[in-house]
Amino acid sequence: MSESSSTPRVLQKSGIFSSSVIEDIQTKAESGIYRIRGYGTLRERRWATFDDLTFLPCSLTRIPLEGYREKCSTKTVLGSRFAEKPIELDIPVMITGMSWGALSYNAKVALAKGASEIGSSNTTGDGGMMAAERENSKTLIYEVLPSRYGINVHHMRMSDGIELTIGQGAKPGTGGLLLETKVSDEISKQRELPVGVDQRSPARHPDMLGPDDMIIKIEELREATGWQVPIFVKLGASRVYDDVKLAAKAGADVVVVDGMEGGTGASPAIFQDHTGIPTLAAVCEARAALEDMGLYGKVQLIIAGGIRDGVDAAKAMALGADAIYIGTAALIALNCNRPLYVDDYHKLGTEPHFCHHCHTGQCPVGVTTQDPELMKRLPIDEAAERVTNLLRAMTLEIQMLARSCGKSDVHNLEPEDMAALTPEASAICKVPLAGTRRVWGS
Amino acid sequence: MAELTCEGRTIREINAEIRRLLKDGEAVTVSSPGARHNLGVALLESGDVLFDGSVGYYCAGLIDGVKVRIKGSAGWGLAESMLSGEVIVEGNAGNSAGAAIRGGALVVQGDSGARTGVSMKNGLIIVTGSCGYMSGFMGQGGKMIICGDAAEAFGDSMYETICFVGGEIADLGNDAIVAESTDEDKQFLDASLTRYLPASVRANLPDGGDFKKVVSGRKLWNFKKSEWKTWEQAL
Amino acid sequence: MCGIAGYYDKSSDSTGLIGCTVLDMLRALGCRGPDSAGVALYHAPADGDFVLQIKLGEAGHSQNPTENVIAKVSALSKPKDVSTTGGYLRLMIDGALDPGRVAAAVESTGSEVEVVSMGRRLEIVKQVGSPDRLEETFRISEFKGSHGIGHTRMSTESKVDLSHSQPFWAHGCPDVAIVHNGHITNYHKLRRQYEQHGTRFYTENDSEIIGVYVAQGLSRGLSLEEVLHAALADWDGSFSCLVSTADAMGFVKDSFAHKPLLFGETDGFAVVATEEVALRAVFGSELKVREAGAREVKVWRN
Repeated sequence: MSESSSTPRVLQKSGIFSSSVIEDIQTKAESGIYRIRGYGTLRERRWATFDDLTFLPCSLTRIPLEGYREKCSTKTVLGSRFAEKPIELDIPVMITGMSWGALSYNAKVALAKGASEIGSSNTTGDGGMMAAERENSKTLIYEVLPSRYGINVHHMRMSDGIELTIGQGAKPGTGGLLLETKVSDEISKQRELPVGVDQRSPARHPDMLGPDDMIIKIEELREATGWQVPIFVKLGASRVYDDVKLAAKAGADVVVVDGMEGGTGASPAIFQDHTGIPTLAAVCEARAALEDMGLYGKVQLIIAGGIRDGVDAAKAMALGADAIYIGTAALIALNCNRPLYVDDYHKLGTEPHFCHHCHTGQCPVGVTTQDPELMKRLPIDEAAERVTNLLRAMTLEIQMLARSCGKSDVHNLEPEDMAALTPEASAICKVPLAGTRRVWGS
Repeated sequence: MAELTCEGRTIREINAEIRRLLKDGEAVTVSSPGARHNLGVALLESGDVLFDGSVGYYCAGLIDGVKVRIKGSAGWGLAESMLSGEVIVEGNAGNSAGAAIRGGALVVQGDSGARTGVSMKNGLIIVTGSCGYMSGFMGQGGKMIICGDAAEAFGDSMYETICFVGGEIADLGNDAIVAESTDEDKQFLDASLTRYLPASVRANLPDGGDFKKVVSGRKLWNFKKSEWKTWEQAL
Repeated sequence: MCGIAGYYDKSSDSTGLIGCTVLDMLRALGCRGPDSAGVALYHAPADGDFVLQIKLGEAGHSQNPTENVIAKVSALSKPKDVSTTGGYLRLMIDGALDPGRVAAAVESTGSEVEVVSMGRRLEIVKQVGSPDRLEETFRISEFKGSHGIGHTRMSTESKVDLSHSQPFWAHGCPDVAIVHNGHITNYHKLRRQYEQHGTRFYTENDSEIIGVYVAQGLSRGLSLEEVLHAALADWDGSFSCLVSTADAMGFVKDSFAHKPLLFGETDGFAVVATEEVALRAVFGSELKVREAGAREVKVWRN
């Protein structure tokens, strides 16, 4: 048979050495170092996620509430365990800690304003508190991180809550990175670092090594803030069951668990993809830990890690979360990955909807950059309005689902309001597999 | 001069009383501290506080402006995250003394433990004795003076902290190098030791010219693959 | 993650109220370990007989297990001074017997039955709850002896129950006990190696590996000092650890100085604790103490 016959050419791709793996190996052969990028895990999610659950609205056995008319409360209180002044929010969705450094000044202020407008809260981030953040935040939570950049007792005392961060979901067990181009004059001044270094944060706190030390540290934080405000302990989702028990034992008012799908400004790619457990699994372990200690409901639980919308939030709340942190979703509302300035995406070697290049500092839409010219592309007030709108839309979604399940308070959502669509989700969430009326593996 | 005892009181009560007395312009002596934790945390008033005995973890943590003296020893995290002020401990300090300080002066008149000055951002630490493992770790700024010996991994992964060691250095940490002291350095050392230490103590310590200066080699500040050997240890 | 404490009387006197001393230190360390408490105390040798403290089962003791144990042990030699307190069966037996046989005989009576300690001088009692509760059950403060170590526990990855509490007896090695603050991160790897050679483990608690390791080292003829130095190479993770034997007490601290440990000594005694607050509570403000350094090993022996 001659070559020019009509036999089609069949290209067979290796299932092991895919295009992205080939690119990865060849890049490492040039650079000699692990890959660093922003955003969060890029793995195709073949594990159990919130998408594997579905709500069971009222039908004959229960009575749904009328949408929009019959009130569904979203008021959320955090820190009732020990704090004199628990945090009171109008909605259960909050903005998580993201650093000024990873984010631009305009992005941070927009998040603060946007959250405040709708009665949500903002959180500082690695690097400490910016004046504009406190000015523009109705409720502001102060993160105490391993790096202690910008640590300032006066800022702690101006905050509405203190979040003692042990780790985050994107990179549990290691410190964060802020690369050269983003360590600008302003950022380096705030963090007390030389300009232009590839800043690597520490993996652990300098003066606290273990949950036994943490008991003492939490008391110190209470002393510093006059025992007024709630103390949160934030964990990257690793050994969630054990860690949540320890955080509760150590005296936390609120435990934050940030799952594997959480975002980051810059971290080693292998951490984002291969460390930590998924957010769905994490919320189930966290709730079990609190229940086994008899503290579920007394210690509040905030869940984070790739929450995309009100549906994810509602499912997390049904499984046990008292509130939800969003990070990446909030940045996307600001304009992350929006098809604007498309040529600049191309210059980075990417496209809108495919961009995870936060670590470069060249964010085409001015969100994760320190370049003042790029930041001009993110006018604060419009951006703030988009944040408010997202939070409002998410809250409405949660309320709608809650009403359809007959709840007049979003915090009354329960695991029993859902069915699982896969055996894994059923086993993990202890929710019946749709069609079987049984929990898988029980 | 006002006095209060720690006996029969919670830490909250003790610290509240110290603050109240400082606001009234009193110097405060605190007796029977019993090595308890979180004594003198977040004292934001200026004034003088004396702990007549040993203290536990995080003593004088998060302070801004106060002067604290400890007659005994201190636990971990002494003066952690201090913004300004002066903390003097006559005995030994535990691990992480001066962790993350952003100003002020911490003086240890005994030995200090592992990771002395870890993540310090500014300010001054003086140890008249020796310091423990990995002291100076991730130091971002400020100055640290160790009059005695330094244990292994000294000055590991620093940014701009400048360290001086009067005794032997067991070994240097990643990217730590010994540099030439300048005349300014020697004057600084003499002036600091004279200012913060009693004359009798200062007399037994090395001269400003006899200290080794340890700074960052700056090879870890930005990754360059040609400096792989340096990074191998650090990554 | 926990609080540990140890006291060693340097005189050859075995009549000091060491139970009280160790207990008071544990009380001062209470906030570090709310889950369980335990002590390993050494009295004067009692005619060379072995003293056994036997756990009968998590739910406390009942007639049948006690009788079964006594029956099994009697086949070897008649036990003396039999008593039951707080879920433990205590008895004394001829010290000339092979300790392995005795322990095996006891434990053959039920899967929940465990020899918590055996020795000519050593007695371990431990239980869920606070040091105060330990005192209520066992009247530790009345114990007279020469040295002892103790532990208050904050459980990290394993269960909160009697077996998982500390101190751990170095199983099979009479008179050797350990307490540990920290987490041995190559525990599973070491455990599998030992299990391949037939060692039985009683818990899922990583600290237990320390007792096994020390037992193996000492029975191979190494000194306590040598065992603790070898540990620096063989154990990974964080540890401040106290080991006591019939006539010695020693500590080892990990390479990274991750967990606190302070000690002080006079001509008359040596004392070690996780926090200075425990030392001050019992010994007042005069005693000079210092923090152990990274990789430091120290042993006291008469």
